[in-house]
Amino acid sequence: MALRRAFLLLSAVLILPILGYCQAAATSKGAHPATASLIPETTSAINSSTPLSQRVVAYNIEGRYDPKMHSLDGSEILTYHNLTGQPLDRFPFHLYLNAFQPKATWIREAKAMGTRDVTYEKWEDKDYGSDEIKSFEVVGMGDLTSKLEYIQPDDGNKDDKTVVQIVLPRAVAPGESIQFKIKFHDQFPETQARSGWKRDFILGGQWFPKVGVWWNGAWNCHQYHATTEFFADFGVYDVSLTLPQYEVVGASGVLVNTVKNADGTQTVTYHGDDIHDFAWTASPRYKVGEDTFQGTMGPVQLRLLMQPAHWGQEARHVKILKQTLEHFERWYGPYPYKTLTLVDPEPDSAAGGMEYPTFITGDSTWWMPDGVYLPELVVEHEFGHQYWYGMVATNEFEDAWLDEGVNSYTECKVMDSVFSPKTSFLSQFGITVGNREVQRIQFIGVADLDPLARKAYEYASFNSYGGVTYGKTASVLLTLEMVIGEDTVQKALRTYFMRYRFTHPTKEDFLKTIEEVSGKDLRWYFNQAVYGTQVFDYEVMRISSDPVNWYKKDFKEKKGETVYDSRVRIHRKGDFVFPVEIEVKFDNGEKVREQWDGQDRWVRFTYRKKAKIESVEVDPDHKINLDRDNFNNSRTADPRAAATRKLANYWNFLSQTFAQFLTWWLV
Amino acid sequence: MSDEGNLISTGLRIVNRHKRYILWFWLLNLTLAEFGTAAFRNQAHAVLDHSLFADKLLHGFDLSVFVELLSRPETGSVAGSTMPAMYFAILFLVASLLLMPGVLEGYTSEGRPSREEFFRACGRNLWRFVRLLLFFAIVAGPITGVLFAIKAGLAKLADKSTNEMTPFYTSVLTSLVIFFILTAIRIWFDLAQVDVVVRDQSAVRKSVAAGLRYAGRHPFRMLTAYSGITLVGLLVLVTGVWIWHSLIRPNSVVGALLVSQVMLILWLWARFWQRAAAAAYYLRESVVPVPVLAAPEPAPVREPAAPLVPPAPEGAAPA
Repeated sequence: MALRRAFLLLSAVLILPILGYCQAAATSKGAHPATASLIPETTSAINSSTPLSQRVVAYNIEGRYDPKMHSLDGSEILTYHNLTGQPLDRFPFHLYLNAFQPKATWIREAKAMGTRDVTYEKWEDKDYGSDEIKSFEVVGMGDLTSKLEYIQPDDGNKDDKTVVQIVLPRAVAPGESIQFKIKFHDQFPETQARSGWKRDFILGGQWFPKVGVWWNGAWNCHQYHATTEFFADFGVYDVSLTLPQYEVVGASGVLVNTVKNADGTQTVTYHGDDIHDFAWTASPRYKVGEDTFQGTMGPVQLRLLMQPAHWGQEARHVKILKQTLEHFERWYGPYPYKTLTLVDPEPDSAAGGMEYPTFITGDSTWWMPDGVYLPELVVEHEFGHQYWYGMVATNEFEDAWLDEGVNSYTECKVMDSVFSPKTSFLSQFGITVGNREVQRIQFIGVADLDPLARKAYEYASFNSYGGVTYGKTASVLLTLEMVIGEDTVQKALRTYFMRYRFTHPTKEDFLKTIEEVSGKDLRWYFNQAVYGTQVFDYEVMRISSDPVNWYKKDFKEKKGETVYDSRVRIHRKGDFVFPVEIEVKFDNGEKVREQWDGQDRWVRFTYRKKAKIESVEVDPDHKINLDRDNFNNSRTADPRAAATRKLANYWNFLSQTFAQFLTWWLV
Repeated sequence: MSDEGNLISTGLRIVNRHKRYILWFWLLNLTLAEFGTAAFRNQAHAVLDHSLFADKLLHGFDLSVFVELLSRPETGSVAGSTMPAMYFAILFLVASLLLMPGVLEGYTSEGRPSREEFFRACGRNLWRFVRLLLFFAIVAGPITGVLFAIKAGLAKLADKSTNEMTPFYTSVLTSLVIFFILTAIRIWFDLAQVDVVVRDQSAVRKSVAAGLRYAGRHPFRMLTAYSGITLVGLLVLVTGVWIWHSLIRPNSVVGALLVSQVMLILWLWARFWQRAAAAAYYLRESVVPVPVLAAPEPAPVREPAAPLVPPAPEGAAPA
């Protein structure tokens, strides 16, 4: 035992100086060897004893927020671990807040195509945002601020400053780590694209210089576009924010420490493991709600920051959050983080409905009735992004459908499970809307414009981006259930999640997983639905029933006795080829189901029966969500005007009311 | 009973005595609305009548199906459906302007004017009522503009408040103030209309002045009466919507038609009740004070329908 101790001591005496020399040598050159990666292996923010991701970055950020100026002065130490397998001498960084400048690509596109928040009819000072690098130092290489260069890899717009790059004097070898020390100044805009201030509220999103992702053998660091979101590597975040003591603060990760400073400020420190972004919020008026969800990997602390006037809806928010967590854990896989912060943002701000790792924003109003499930839908959707973006970190610039679309599909599944499929969006005063119909309605107006597999910033319009990315993807996956079964789609998504969590999968990773799990070659479907712009539209073109003995002089029709030749013609109006089921209903109550592969442009079915056709319907079980026109999917032999009369009555009523209102005041 | 109570009940008696006016106006509005909505109805027939998908609108009301219906090229633009309805609503307004003198003739007469008398009053006062409408527009237009500008300004200020409820309360309060001011203007011009009809006044400006004078005598009495009746109208609307929603089956087209039309009749009735109250008030206020001991002067008889109490034209002896 003593001999062994002596041996260990001797080894330490000999080896430690050598290791120390290597470390010093590496540091003096500005990079660290792989064996001395500076990325911490912490696990205090996750319910796991080991790191869950291959950690590429570690951000250590200190920021001081000035609520009067809506600005922040920050310093960041970014450690980057070169796991690319090749030397890197060029590093691009996102400066997202620079998007909110009148000549920036984001604003140009937003003005031309529209956004969901701001119209930019007139430029106002409060719209301005910036992320200005004050100094840029590379450890071991000195101050390289003057070497920074704005680049515009997507559109060449020289006025766009959302990406800056540095070319190092010496490359970082594979396996080495490098540290950047960056001082920056943020000017937040009034909330745009879910970042910025509104009154005394602030949502700090995309607020610090952020390195691009080495992906598929190249740097992937796109400019910020009006229709794009983000893409970043996994790592560790340690963030300290100093702001007034009256502020109630929430952020990604776990709260490590709060220090009350003598100058009336507080410094809050957060830590996050295996996340790829960090967002925070502050408002003096948040009411804080707390709860716990018992996840499969451990307890998850739920923290809700609610607007005071929405406090009555806190239970609603907690309920849907827990229901969503429960569904996701059961269907797709575990939620490994220890926290989830749900922010109910400032009213009328463009901060609602946003996702960041372990941090989401909802959307509600003080008067939100119970049957309007908008708050539930937003909470569900944004939580879903913890899986489809947060953990399965696809490239939101290039494959937006993989996060927004897949998430919209799972949103349909969860909302339909929690509520009823027919009322999972709205059930108020007899007016109903189901979530899957919302998805469908979104894209049918832009069904032939863009394929899913298109870079988010290359869509024809903002409507097309929204409709195709969210609505069409959800509809594609809902319709896929008809081909491979609902359970198989769910199983495929679980496999996809478990296999690709904490990585950056591609569209083919997703599609191949579905094919693998289903055991089917689905290229015929994906080529049309994902890579193509084929329009899905089947119609019942014609139905007829003619008596066989129509020519006889003494012929008289008798129900149940007269024999009819009936014909049904189904037409594939669109260019999307898909096998469909058809139900033919006769007036004696008999129903016949037919199958058609849809290969030809039309098909005819004929029958000779002692009954006439009453109605014909394509997709009688309503499993197809992709069809652009549901009205022509069926046809009845006789007209049934009740629905029209009902609508006409509504329309008349509104018209008469308007006329009487006008006359009330003017005559 | 208070004066307001008297006014309301007198108005109610008058309006109930002439129920047929309400029915005719309702029928006119319904007919015009039928024309106004014909384009939409025809488009809807073409799409819905042979489709099983339409059941989602009949047995309940799936809003997404309705949106899909409107977004179809066959349905045409929303403006294509709404504009005809708008035009026919304006036509109803014009028809009301044309027919209102006859109604007021009835409300200020003891008996029931004949059809000929009704239309004669309409014809005689048509141009006067058009001019009154122009006066109303000149007065109410700028005031409404200023009021809504103030409302927008206050809303902007309230929007800066960190209390989320402040914009709501500001909006409710400013809307109420606007309602009361516009109602006061409406009372003024309702009285002016009565003055035009009763005095057969060609100089409309004099009726405008008279309306203002009468309205100004007891401003709160009329305002209370009008507001009370408006409240009744609102209650009718709310109750009607509740009945429609709670008691009528979604696929009962006839039931919905009946409830909706009864609501509209009652709403129309509320407005006519206000007019009747204005007529009663006018007649009461326009009585010439008569000395107790003096012999009663014969009331000027205006053929064929005499007002209940004749007014004395300004600055002149009664004819």
